[in-house]
Amino acid sequence: MNEIVTVNNVTKSFQHKKAVDDVSFSISKGEVVAILGPNGAGKTTTISMILGLLKPTSGEVRLFNLLPHEKQVREKIGTMLQEVSVMQGLKVNEILELIRSYYPQPLSIQELIALTGLTPQDLKTRAEKLSGGQKRRLSFALALAGNPELIIFDEPTVGMDITSRKRFWQTVRTLADQGKTIIFSTHYLQEADDAADRILLFKDGAIAADGTPAQIKASITKQSVSFVVDPEKSLEKLYQHSEITDIFRKNNRVYIHTDNTDRILELLFQERIGARDIQIERGKLEEAFEQLTGESKEAI
Amino acid sequence: MKTFQIQCKVEIIRILRNRYFVFWSLVMPIIFYYVFTNLVNSNIPNKSEWQAHYLMSMTVFSVMGSSMMTLGIRLVQERSQGWSTFLRTTPLSNTVYFAAQMVGQSVIHVFSIVIIFIAGALINDVSLTVLEWIMSGLWILLGSLPFLALGTLIGLMKKVETAAGVSNVLYMVLAVSGGLWMPLEVMPKMMQAIAKWLPSYNFGSGAWEIVRGGLPDWKNMMLLIAYLVLFMLLSNYIRRKQEVV
Ligand SMILES: Nc1ncnc2c1ncn2[C@@H]1O[C@H](COP(=O)(O)OP(=O)(O)O)[C@@H](O)[C@H]1O
Ligand SMILES: [Mg+2]
Repeated sequence: MNEIVTVNNVTKSFQHKKAVDDVSFSISKGEVVAILGPNGAGKTTTISMILGLLKPTSGEVRLFNLLPHEKQVREKIGTMLQEVSVMQGLKVNEILELIRSYYPQPLSIQELIALTGLTPQDLKTRAEKLSGGQKRRLSFALALAGNPELIIFDEPTVGMDITSRKRFWQTVRTLADQGKTIIFSTHYLQEADDAADRILLFKDGAIAADGTPAQIKASITKQSVSFVVDPEKSLEKLYQHSEITDIFRKNNRVYIHTDNTDRILELLFQERIGARDIQIERGKLEEAFEQLTGESKEAI
Repeated sequence: MKTFQIQCKVEIIRILRNRYFVFWSLVMPIIFYYVFTNLVNSNIPNKSEWQAHYLMSMTVFSVMGSSMMTLGIRLVQERSQGWSTFLRTTPLSNTVYFAAQMVGQSVIHVFSIVIIFIAGALINDVSLTVLEWIMSGLWILLGSLPFLALGTLIGLMKKVETAAGVSNVLYMVLAVSGGLWMPLEVMPKMMQAIAKWLPSYNFGSGAWEIVRGGLPDWKNMMLLIAYLVLFMLLSNYIRRKQEVV
């Protein structure tokens, strides 16, 4: 029984919209998993259901083989939500003491300081006077206060400067090395690649890919042939060829995605398209990611 | 149990640090008390009875305000700023959270009652028997329950601004029409008839009776209990409707 999180055919619909559409996955102890996807992909909705904050329209979520809202589960999880919020009228150390009192085996204030980089100055500050960065540190400390086995972060690095970001990921590494299970969401491929040993790629509320960063990268980078062509020239002749997986125009160039670049070159000359300045590219990862998840490309 | 104690302590600290609370629930009632018993109405026949009567009015005014406004607005704040959502991911149970709010708020009420009573004793030498002080204090503490329930009802609103606006207006209307600012007798007959049914009048009335040497009318009690039940049912009903997500 190493499964910490199981999500079974979970769907969440809001009035007219399916935010999460029949998603299933499970996460075992000690995994560091990134939920990667653009804005609106359903990351927060999925995380909210894992945390028991939202009820799935259908399907089931289990944590430690229990339902998310049960007390035994709550004692073993820690979370940093997308919208960071703190309690007004209290100093940081008072909030930490309060939240620590909820858990059977909390981390000490000293340990929390060491992990999150809260300063003695921060501890004496009233919550409503904290800067954005200090609030993030506090909410990170609150997530760890109960010494959780499962830690869930929703877009944790949004609003962090580079130094805090670096520090944050270092701490996540430390926690992972202690055997904690970690789930975080992000819309940066780079971040998922650097920090996670598994990526769940979300698109339009469904899982588009699930694997190690290397596998995900291989599956989303495609080879492409690009060239400049007279805009008046019809490219219709190319459409009939099955070797072309995708064709689109971007910045005055035409891009063709394919598994077989040699064959595409042959076709270009064969069909007399009048292609100039031809380039063959191994797709750039970030671009491929954008193309996979974005919708801003212009169809021909 | 330790969680509950810390949670109560924290609620109390937060209220005491809240400037609106200190102003509306402590400073204002005491200033009003001074003004209305010393600067105006100086030709009242039974002066000491009026001074005791008005001390009760202002204490009731204070406790009613912090039940509705301090509690209500704080609840909305915590929800609209996402703090309640975070709490739902922790092991803190709803019951403990709610109980701590009520206990914390009640401790604050005891504190307000004592401060305003002392102010009355100092400003006007109001002298009641020990039993009268204790009885009237207890009446005000228990009589605040329907207003705490009203506070949780206000606490269900979506926006802090709406909650602040609504609770402010409701607070003032209830205070004035319930005879807390000036005695009911100076108001039009029509208003007096309506006031008899308001929770604020019945809240004040019990305390006025006690300092006059009597006991609260059973009708005061019944009406306050009825309002308590009504507000609780209403807030449960609305909460359940909101939870359907
Ligand atoms: N409470 C809600 N009511 C209606 N639609 C919602 C609600 N929450 C999220 N959505 C919609 O569901 C989709 C997924 O949202 P979300 O899970 O927040 O995405 P992400 O966190 O990946 O940016 C979005 O299109 C969003 O507009
Ligand atoms: Mg999100």
